[in-house]
Amino acid sequence: MEKLLEINSLSKSFKGNRVLDNISFLIEKGEVLCLLGPNGAGKSTTINILLGLLGRDSGTITYNGKVVSRSHLRAYKQKLGVVPQDLALYEELSAQQNARFFTSLYGLRGSNLDEAVEEALQFAGLTDRRKDKVKTFSGGMKRRLNIACAIAHHPELVIMDEPTVGIDPQSRNHILDSIKKLQADGITILYTTHYMEEVEAISSRIIIIDHGKIIAEGTKEKLKENIQSEKCYHIELEEGSPVPTEGFYDVEGVKEAKSDGNKIDIVSLRGVENLDRIISLISDAGAHIRNIAGEEASLETVFLKLTGRKLRN
Amino acid sequence: MYRFFQIFKMDLSNNFKNPVLINFNSVFAIVMILIMGFLTSGNYANAMDAYNYYAVSFLIFGMMEGAMTATNCFMERDIKKPNLRILSSPCGKFPIYFSKMLASFLFDYILHLLVAVILLIAGINLGGQNMGWIFLMMIPVEFSSAALGVLFCCIFHCEETASTILSLFVSVIAFLGGAFFSLDGLGSTLAAISRISPVKMLIDVFFAVIYDNNLSGVLPVLFISTAFSALCIFGCQKTFRAEDYL
Repeated sequence: MEKLLEINSLSKSFKGNRVLDNISFLIEKGEVLCLLGPNGAGKSTTINILLGLLGRDSGTITYNGKVVSRSHLRAYKQKLGVVPQDLALYEELSAQQNARFFTSLYGLRGSNLDEAVEEALQFAGLTDRRKDKVKTFSGGMKRRLNIACAIAHHPELVIMDEPTVGIDPQSRNHILDSIKKLQADGITILYTTHYMEEVEAISSRIIIIDHGKIIAEGTKEKLKENIQSEKCYHIELEEGSPVPTEGFYDVEGVKEAKSDGNKIDIVSLRGVENLDRIISLISDAGAHIRNIAGEEASLETVFLKLTGRKLRN
Repeated sequence: MYRFFQIFKMDLSNNFKNPVLINFNSVFAIVMILIMGFLTSGNYANAMDAYNYYAVSFLIFGMMEGAMTATNCFMERDIKKPNLRILSSPCGKFPIYFSKMLASFLFDYILHLLVAVILLIAGINLGGQNMGWIFLMMIPVEFSSAALGVLFCCIFHCEETASTILSLFVSVIAFLGGAFFSLDGLGSTLAAISRISPVKMLIDVFFAVIYDNNLSGVLPVLFISTAFSALCIFGCQKTFRAEDYL
């Protein structure tokens, strides 16, 4: 894949507090790169530096092979679409007026502007409400318009800073579907969030950021694979079956075994094929198994393992 | 230029959609002129002179208060967030603050001209054949107020703080300048203090044009307020940072 944006050794401090610590990453053309981290991790600071809204202490940004400097800033910004975390819309204006105004800032005019606005409103599913004032919209519709205003001028890279904050699941799904459509159209997306399920749904690659540092990077499958070292079996026994309490630790790879009523939870090292031996042990004790479930690693567990804290702490 | 014009149009239209700003720059000024004229009419040989005095002084006070239109236009809560999107676009930072200045200036100037026309219809003397000079002097004065308002926002990064400080500042210079009542008759010390206020200078020049047919103060007003505006724009260029919007 081709590199679109490259960030090298980016650092930023606020009043002596280092919020970005020498971070480097790149975004490839056509991918959805998710920047995942809890509040205060440095996601928005990274985005604001990328948008030129915030200065940086050190580091370089390279876009399409050109270092983004003050003299290139306008040309660079022309290629970007921005979905800010807060709704950046004029409430007293209609959806169409908002989209027209923000799109005109990218130099579009006349019939090109009309077409681009129409297309963006259609994309956001707001064609029927184009003449209505934004203040009459639901939270989800405003979020969709926030995205429409960012994409109408056909940017190469869309930067989305937590675009689904505070909306209902239906609107969130609509937005996630839109992002998939954008990606299918070849648009590159940088997406920040602290919602794990969104990352699972849309990401091509993930960067996990915490305390201003990148702590992991890769596809979701790779991250899970690299990080997960344990697998958990939840075994449910038939009512009245005797519950074996000993012998599990003799099975290779078993790290932890806990029983509660007719349920047994076993934590085993990943890669050790020991389920058959565990089943034999239970059967030998005269117990009958009703159900066995194996728990796969989620990104939530990956994050917890890497940072020692939950995403939404 | 096209992008700047789009931002300017939006800023101007936002101002004209704000009923508080419209009332403050029109109805409030007329009501104040009527109240103060009525209350002090007994102090003048001709009752109409009281209205004539307060028409000019409150027109100048209104022009100074125009700085608050600019702070509102620049950093008001509902406008600040869309402004952030403008900052993310390829427009550069100069059009952002300069369009707020220009839009605030034009908004204030239009409304104050409207007030002046209403006053003229009511029989207030605004200079007769010299009226054009009055309206001409209003242009750079209004613009310098708007530029000062935007500069205060750039310095204090917050509309509330900028408006509070400006309001206090404008009230003090208006009081010292004799916008509410002349300090000239209250002793030489107060009269001397009064002279440090730009409002005093403006009132004197406006009255000289209206009543004495004396245009000697026009050029200094035009020059000083234009130079002051240029200083404010320079200050904005130096102090305005996009991150103040974050």
